[in-house]
Amino acid sequence: MLILIVDDEPQIRKLLQTGLIGHGYEVVTAADGVEALTAVRQHHPDLLVLDIALGSGPDGLDVCQRLRQWSQVPIIMLSVHGDERSKVQALNAGADDYLTKPFSMKELQARIQAVLRRVAMEPATTPTATIVVGDLKIDLAKHLVTLAGEEVHFTPIEYDILCLLATHPGQIMTHRTILSKVWGADYADMTHYVRIYINQIRKKLQEDPAANVRYILNEPGIGYRFVDIA
Amino acid sequence: MFFKDSPHFRTLLRPLMAVGLAILVTIPLWRIRDALTLANFSLIYLLLTLVIAIWLGTVPSLMAAFVSFFCFNFFLIKPYYTLTVADPRELLDLFIFLLVALITGQLAAYARRQAEVARHRASEQNILYELSSAFNRLNEREDIYRTLQNVVQENLPVVTCTVQASHETAPPDVDQTTIYLLIGMNEQVYGTLRANFSAQPVEAQRRFLMACVVQAAMALQRIELAEDVQRSRAIEEADRLKTTLLHAVSHDLRTPITIIKTAASNLQSLREQMSPVEKQEIAQVIEQEADTLNRLVGNLLDMSRLQAGALKLHEDWTAVSEIAGDVAAQAWQRHQSTRIRLDFPDDMPLVRCDQGLMLQALGNITNNALRYEPPESQVEIRGAFDEQEVQLVVVNHGATILPEEKTHIMEPFYRGGDGQIGLGLAISQGIVAAHKGRIRVEDTPGGGATFIIILPRSPMEGQTDADIDRG
Repeated sequence: MLILIVDDEPQIRKLLQTGLIGHGYEVVTAADGVEALTAVRQHHPDLLVLDIALGSGPDGLDVCQRLRQWSQVPIIMLSVHGDERSKVQALNAGADDYLTKPFSMKELQARIQAVLRRVAMEPATTPTATIVVGDLKIDLAKHLVTLAGEEVHFTPIEYDILCLLATHPGQIMTHRTILSKVWGADYADMTHYVRIYINQIRKKLQEDPAANVRYILNEPGIGYRFVDIA
Repeated sequence: MFFKDSPHFRTLLRPLMAVGLAILVTIPLWRIRDALTLANFSLIYLLLTLVIAIWLGTVPSLMAAFVSFFCFNFFLIKPYYTLTVADPRELLDLFIFLLVALITGQLAAYARRQAEVARHRASEQNILYELSSAFNRLNEREDIYRTLQNVVQENLPVVTCTVQASHETAPPDVDQTTIYLLIGMNEQVYGTLRANFSAQPVEAQRRFLMACVVQAAMALQRIELAEDVQRSRAIEEADRLKTTLLHAVSHDLRTPITIIKTAASNLQSLREQMSPVEKQEIAQVIEQEADTLNRLVGNLLDMSRLQAGALKLHEDWTAVSEIAGDVAAQAWQRHQSTRIRLDFPDDMPLVRCDQGLMLQALGNITNNALRYEPPESQVEIRGAFDEQEVQLVVVNHGATILPEEKTHIMEPFYRGGDGQIGLGLAISQGIVAAHKGRIRVEDTPGGGATFIIILPRSPMEGQTDADIDRG
């Protein structure tokens, strides 16, 4: 597995490189956007770890947008706390995940694994599959949702949202993505629709965050993420 | 209607009235002229002249004196209906009457003018007094300009009056009927007034206008001074904050840095003598302290952003139960047990807020509550709402906060009983205030503190559930 690290801070590049090599990956690095685009063409990495802020030239967001025109290489964006706008933009531009600085090597390693696993199993998530998380079981073929063996009834929209999230475990779905996939592109700005429905779905799934029973995770200001079925 | 007297009334009607009155008085005198003496006639006409002088002024009193003199001579002194006088003594009486009538008339009219001026002055004073007390109540510049304009329009014969906050200094094309004044104090100009009179304004009107403008300038200066005071208070507050910030930086930031530095240098110089377990422990310490440092720096940044008013809200419709759920899940992650009880009504409305910031606000308050929660009980996070507001209630069952502590608990850098610097609650307070909400601290019945985040409900742009069910 070859990973391309793009960060303008030499120290961070070096530490990430050491850490990832230690975890058994091969690593190439780039210090700015132009170098990053060249490196992708040259080395064909399996995954990009891409910082949003890249000093001069094209920033991480630009790199992500340009890459998506011809490449589906998985991208994990790095950003600092509080920059929700850029994160949403990056995700809408096609980034697969993001990580907020500072993060631990363990977190990065987990995210990389999750993204790579998702890419590997993508063709497997056909409508015939069955998704199982804890007590929750979603039979995509029969449109049947059960909780500890008991059938749970959902309205068509609730079911669509749940399926959309559950078929992309661990992957962030922005409000905009959910709206345009479930309601249609015209509804992309009506984020309160999503909130009302997620709220209802959660009640039916009997989530209890205080006891760590959660299926749908919040990404404040960005969207939702179904728990990763690792 | 002060100063607004019709000029025609003065110049035409009043003298005519004086003449009419003189003739009117003559008629009964003429009927009984044989029963009265010359002295009676003179005194009655003198009285009339005096009354007219006081009532109607100088010119009418002059008219009255001359008409009286004529009527007296023509109708009441023998030979009747001629202007000749038989007795030369009577002729002397008649001329003395005219002289006395003229003098008393003038004196009375003068007295009347004085009284009128005094009355005008009093009325002017009264208006100015009311104006200044009105100005004292106003705190907006725009209101002052408007009030000044209204007062001028109501009390002076102006065609137009415009008051502007502009600072132009050169009076543009001013003619005889236009007065252009700068509203200013001590070389400081707050605006301009341009009054267009229907006729050339008299001195008293000018003076009154100036007095109004001075009052307005004083009021505007007062507002400016008040703003200055507020500004300098804000600067003082920022200064105080900077000092406490420096203290905090020097102590609370240096501690984790010291630990990290020591741990790293130990690892560097002693790594050969260390067991793998020891190395692992040191690495853990470094990571922990880096987290502490990160949290502190984040808080300091947030605090300074809040203080500088540089916090940008990305508001969106948000389910507060979602935020509470995240807080509860975070608590579970940290404690690996259920330390929080959630209770939200099914019909809890959405609120417009910045979800990330509100998560931080509720998180800080909840973490504070968890720190003082007895191990056998749980912190409650409840939702409540009415027509106007949505409430997030965080209930702790520990010790009750002392009343004097309650007033300080939300202040930045306030150190509670455990000596930790308190930025969390101050940040929560700032975030909630930025959402036009407030935080209330109450005693929990049976001991403990209850924090209530109160947020205003914003109207939902008319959509119904039917609307949501797929267009």
